[in-house]
Amino acid sequence: MEQVDAGGSTTTVAASTSGESGLDPIARVRKLLFRQMLVGIKDGRFFLGSFHCIDKQGNIILQDTVEYRSIRRSSPSPTEQRCLGMILIPASCRTSCHVDCSIEEQLSLIQLKE
Amino acid sequence: MQSVREEESSSIDQEPRSCGDNSVWAHVSPLLSAACSDLNECELIHGDNFNLFAAMSALEIMDPKMDSGMVSTFYSIDEAIESGFAPVPISSDRTVDVQCIIDIMDHLLACEATWHMGHSLAQTVFSCIYVLRPERTSSHALLHSFCRVIRATCRALVSVVSDARTNEEEDLFTMTYGLPFNGDEDGKGLLLLNAVEETICRQLRACKATSSKRRVFEARRKANDFVFVVCRMMQNWNLYKLIRNWKRAFAKLCYAGYVFHFLHALNCMRRPQGRGLELARKHIAYCIAELESVLSSVEFLSLETVENGKNEMEESTTGSGRHPIGFDPNLNKRLSAPTPPRAIKLLSWKKVGTSKFSAIDYYVKLLHNLDQICAFKLEPDLDAVLQFVVQFQKSRPDLVARAHLQLLLVQDGKLYGRDTFLTICARSLALDVTKNHGLHLNEYILQLNQLMINLLKILCANTPWQRRKLGKILNDWSIFNVQMGITVGHMMQQVTTPRTPKNGDKSALILNHIYGWLEEQIHWVALRFLVLGFDLKLYSPSEYCMVYWYMYIILWKLAEKAHFRVLIIVHTEEQKAKKKEDYSRDMAREDRISLWVLLLKCQTSLAQGLTVMIAALRNEGMCLKSQGPFNTENEKFVQHFGLLQKASLPKYDAYESFSESTCHARLDYLPVYECFRDAQKMAKEIKVGYANDPDKLAEVVGLEQVAEHNIIAVNLLCQDRCLKVSFEFIHHPHFATAVVRRS
Repeated sequence: MEQVDAGGSTTTVAASTSGESGLDPIARVRKLLFRQMLVGIKDGRFFLGSFHCIDKQGNIILQDTVEYRSIRRSSPSPTEQRCLGMILIPASCRTSCHVDCSIEEQLSLIQLKE
Repeated sequence: MQSVREEESSSIDQEPRSCGDNSVWAHVSPLLSAACSDLNECELIHGDNFNLFAAMSALEIMDPKMDSGMVSTFYSIDEAIESGFAPVPISSDRTVDVQCIIDIMDHLLACEATWHMGHSLAQTVFSCIYVLRPERTSSHALLHSFCRVIRATCRALVSVVSDARTNEEEDLFTMTYGLPFNGDEDGKGLLLLNAVEETICRQLRACKATSSKRRVFEARRKANDFVFVVCRMMQNWNLYKLIRNWKRAFAKLCYAGYVFHFLHALNCMRRPQGRGLELARKHIAYCIAELESVLSSVEFLSLETVENGKNEMEESTTGSGRHPIGFDPNLNKRLSAPTPPRAIKLLSWKKVGTSKFSAIDYYVKLLHNLDQICAFKLEPDLDAVLQFVVQFQKSRPDLVARAHLQLLLVQDGKLYGRDTFLTICARSLALDVTKNHGLHLNEYILQLNQLMINLLKILCANTPWQRRKLGKILNDWSIFNVQMGITVGHMMQQVTTPRTPKNGDKSALILNHIYGWLEEQIHWVALRFLVLGFDLKLYSPSEYCMVYWYMYIILWKLAEKAHFRVLIIVHTEEQKAKKKEDYSRDMAREDRISLWVLLLKCQTSLAQGLTVMIAALRNEGMCLKSQGPFNTENEKFVQHFGLLQKASLPKYDAYESFSESTCHARLDYLPVYECFRDAQKMAKEIKVGYANDPDKLAEVVGLEQVAEHNIIAVNLLCQDRCLKVSFEFIHHPHFATAVVRRS
């Protein structure tokens, strides 16, 4: 596995003994890799793709992405879609982020360990 | 840490749901924020298959250079239409409506020309909402039919270029990216346009109310500005308005006529076996006339805007200088490709000031090129075809014209869709292959067929691509030549033994002649490869010596092979004449090829003379050596001629031979003069033969002048070794003339 690591620290996460919801955020986000992620951005478009990478600044890379956009400024309006492939969504334009998961998992995902 | 917005989108319900039961969209922004804050600098969360290098190719959203989905003026075409961006009718004021229609037609023609020159349809022709949604304009006959015919023309051209597969350069040409390109409905455009033309004609006749005014119109048709000035001076507003309205109607008619005849010309040219060429020529002639009329009418109309102080004529896409209504090149951004198309500049409608090339210039050139193709007599003579293609390419025709030429020459694996290459090849050797049916299926003949088709297609391509491909196919031809040589050698051995069937004899003989002809063609291809290097300016002056040396050896061999072919023809024809009393020899063909052989010999002498002259100058220190700081002469030689040597052209070590033959050259060496004098003598003789062919005659005159001037130059240089000499292509594009200066 390639490690982009200038600081010299490791990214391996120690397995937590306190169950899945007790895992630290990085490990939980790691579990979201390759899942379908829906990202909304400032101008109203949505991107659905498989979660590929995230960095410290919150910039997300999605693979096999489909872009959804509305045909009219006013809502509700019909949407059109097209395929984009691999994209990078800067953190600054991201307004929302959802992941496709089962109802059981949902709880563990939205719960944050302080 | 970069701030991460945690606002939820309110319209999540409208978004696509993932498939599968019991699945929901979980909001994970807070989790992502927490994970990001825990990460160290430069750390990433990624899977095993993550590759940083591959990730660099990801499209960055909200970056204008990479994100074509970014909203610009309008969200969609429908929104643009709803906001009144492309009204129908354009204006309730009829005068303004007509002005705007003419602007739209100007702009559309400029867009189409820009598309031909290599930009995408989406940013050019289809940036017009009226063209994207033609059904909206059905109440406006002229605009509607004009748009339909433009679409039909675009479809016809995309079809021609796709079939010819010459889109090695303007890859965007045939990409329609989901643009509406309906076939049948656009075909009706021609009928509609015809009806519109008749209506406008009636309007024109109504305009010419009195006989006196008719005389004014007809007499002053060309002198638009004079009429305008006269009318204004006379304060004859009514007359002026009448002329202006007439001019507008006339401009509309000319535009309608132009697109109508252009589409007809394209349709005629596509008819198989060149059956529609004569009719296409008539349509092309109409197109040229209509374009001239459009130009003169719209120039007149543009005088109004200049009068009104609008001086934005420079590089405008309309004759009037006004911005046309209903065009937005950003509308189709999303259709072009995942990444936004590069910014393009439309051709200006008319050449103004220092602008290099205008849409009108482009169409005039295109029409003349198409006319040249239509004028070609489809002779089943390969020499004539090759010479025509070479001559045609001299004017640097564009993609559309070249695609049409290719489709005319090669159809269904035959020349003009009519003659097999075996027949053509046999004709150039005066052989009769009608009785040798088996030959058509011979594997060598089939392969030769393929090589010839490939060669003709390559010769119709653009110059850089053509040269590259010619270099590559030399190897294929060479290998084929060797294989055929072995087989034919065996066959000829069997022919000399007794008890061989008569038919077998003939096939072997024919194949033997074709093998010899093949050698001639390989040398022709090699010569074309070398000569294109001059057109593409691939040789630096310090390399001219080696280039001319190579041309000399190739030309020499080509002339020898061609001369041998003449001898075969003469012999065959004499045999036929002996057998049949009333047999008429095709003397014209013999004379034609003999003349061509003489031309080759003239060029051979010139090449030889130039080689020796430049070598002498180099040896005496008066000229640049071809050894540079980075490459030796040998390395440069291999760079330029490696492909030829690989194809055994020549069979011996070319560089060694070149070095030996040029190292002792001196200016006062007699052969320098003799070569140029021989070339001069031959040129005089050839001029007589080409008296009726202006293109060939011009070339031979050029060769003669090159020889003459080089003799003078050598004389001067011999007398004064301190003079400066440079080589320039003043008289001929491939044979240089030495220009001598004091300093």
